[in-house]
Amino acid sequence: MPSDDRTITIGNVLRADIRGFVVASRIPAPEVPTFGTFVRAPIQQNTAELVGLVYDIRLQDDPFLRNLAATVFPGDPRSEEIIRDQRENRVVPVEISVAAIGYRFGATGTYIYGFPPQPPMILNQIAVCADAEVREITTSPDFMRALLDNRDIPTDELIPATLLRASTLREPDHLRYLIQAGRYLTHELARDPVRVERILRRIDHA
Amino acid sequence: MLRLERIRDDIAALGQHAALDQQNQGKVLALARRWLADLPDHEALRQHIQPLLSGASQWGGAIAVTDEPLSVPIPCPGMPPDGLVVVGVDGSQIFPDRHALVLYYLLQVGALLFRYNGTTPSVHTAEWLHYEERELFDARGYLMGSEVLAMERMVKEMEVLADLLSAERQAAPGLIFGLSDGPLLWPYMDRDSDATQQARAAYLGAIERVQRHDGIPVGYVDRPGGQPLLELLWVSQLPAEDLLQRSDQTPLGRLTDEQFLSEVLSPGQRTPWFTRRTAANQRHAAAGQEIWFCYMALGSAGDRAIARIEAPAWAAERADITTALHAMLWHQASALDGYPYVLARAHEEALVTTQDKVALEQAIQRQFLEQGIVAQPSNKARQKALLGKR
Repeated sequence: MPSDDRTITIGNVLRADIRGFVVASRIPAPEVPTFGTFVRAPIQQNTAELVGLVYDIRLQDDPFLRNLAATVFPGDPRSEEIIRDQRENRVVPVEISVAAIGYRFGATGTYIYGFPPQPPMILNQIAVCADAEVREITTSPDFMRALLDNRDIPTDELIPATLLRASTLREPDHLRYLIQAGRYLTHELARDPVRVERILRRIDHA
Repeated sequence: MLRLERIRDDIAALGQHAALDQQNQGKVLALARRWLADLPDHEALRQHIQPLLSGASQWGGAIAVTDEPLSVPIPCPGMPPDGLVVVGVDGSQIFPDRHALVLYYLLQVGALLFRYNGTTPSVHTAEWLHYEERELFDARGYLMGSEVLAMERMVKEMEVLADLLSAERQAAPGLIFGLSDGPLLWPYMDRDSDATQQARAAYLGAIERVQRHDGIPVGYVDRPGGQPLLELLWVSQLPAEDLLQRSDQTPLGRLTDEQFLSEVLSPGQRTPWFTRRTAANQRHAAAGQEIWFCYMALGSAGDRAIARIEAPAWAAERADITTALHAMLWHQASALDGYPYVLARAHEEALVTTQDKVALEQAIQRQFLEQGIVAQPSNKARQKALLGKR
């Protein structure tokens, strides 16, 4: 994934609800987004955009590749061109699951944290957020609010990955940013100190 | 909704019928094997079938065109030569649908250029969107049928092959094969409308262009139907005086060449080349493009895949081309257990998926809205779409 301000379109929405959506993507392996990547999707007839976090990447079954696995071997000169074709020309069909964390009206509006008024429509195109957008979205630790309530996804892994990504965009103040986020988590999860400790340890060990 | 319980007896009867068919097939296979072993030599066979090749006979059986013995399969010659190029091509389409939100049709051709030199193959796709009335309706006002679209697709595939082969020829001095999925012989000879004649002329023109660029067009027919070889075996058994009367009275029933050769050819082996005196092939021959064919066993010992390979006579009669073609097809099919890799990839590139169709129609709808036009699929199409999701 690029760490500059470029954005990459990664695929189309396959199914969606208020809490998140799944994207079907056929892009070259190096461009498949990583766990915790910030993405955006148009909503409300393109008048607003939803922001979410990648929390699952699933390789779809590829019968073509399954057939080749038994007959083509790396290093065998008879397989050379086929392996090159598979690696360089064919794209990996993946399903990328995204959890919604907020939205904004227009491309320059202020981010509103929480679930959007409407999920993205099927086949709308999804793009990876540029660094500047990630910096803006993560300005307030409230971007984690929707995640903390969502027990259907690996939140306790997702939050550390996200905070670490957001902190690297704030050098040299990254430590201060992480401490503020830690305070926020301690306050929001005051009734579950074990969970807070678990999340903070993952940040510490990264 | 299908109520399986109502046809349970029919399903059981179907199974018994298949078992009986298989039993009978064993008997006719043994008979055909014996006829193959008893075939006379080439010259004697040629003379024997001569009455079927002249006059008003409609006989469409296989005619051996080389001197290789028919009862001895030809083994695979090894690996394809370095520098050989094969271009696989395939097409797909969206048919015009009067229930759709707008009347259009789409053709897409995909190709893979596979060079035996260790480099990465190249992918190529081309697409055509048609929406004008003159493209959608025939002279009598009927909406274009699936056969007309299939003809156009076949022409486009050969034209794309000709373009790619001509470009590839600049860098590749060796043999270049253009492999298409399906027969090389133009199959729409019976219905001679203006559209058919134009399409056939364009197709033969594209084959001629492939030839001009020193490329070799080849048709690959997977699991072929028909029994021209068995028809030859049958007539070889007939006394000369019965040839004209009984050539179409084979006792082999519906046994096909493919079923027979599954028992005769081992993986990697092929038959000699044959030709046929059909009206279709005679029209090809008149254009300098008579088609020869042979059968090849691909796949593995446990799962044999018999394919009919079609090539123009001017190419098939050259031993170097035939040897390279045999080796290339065996290598290509070995990677995918019985089907050429380049054709599978060309199909993948050409395929217009349901998701592609939805995306295309959404883009068309957006374009319509920008022009202030409101278009909807028919009520029937909407209802079917809902039921289709179940």
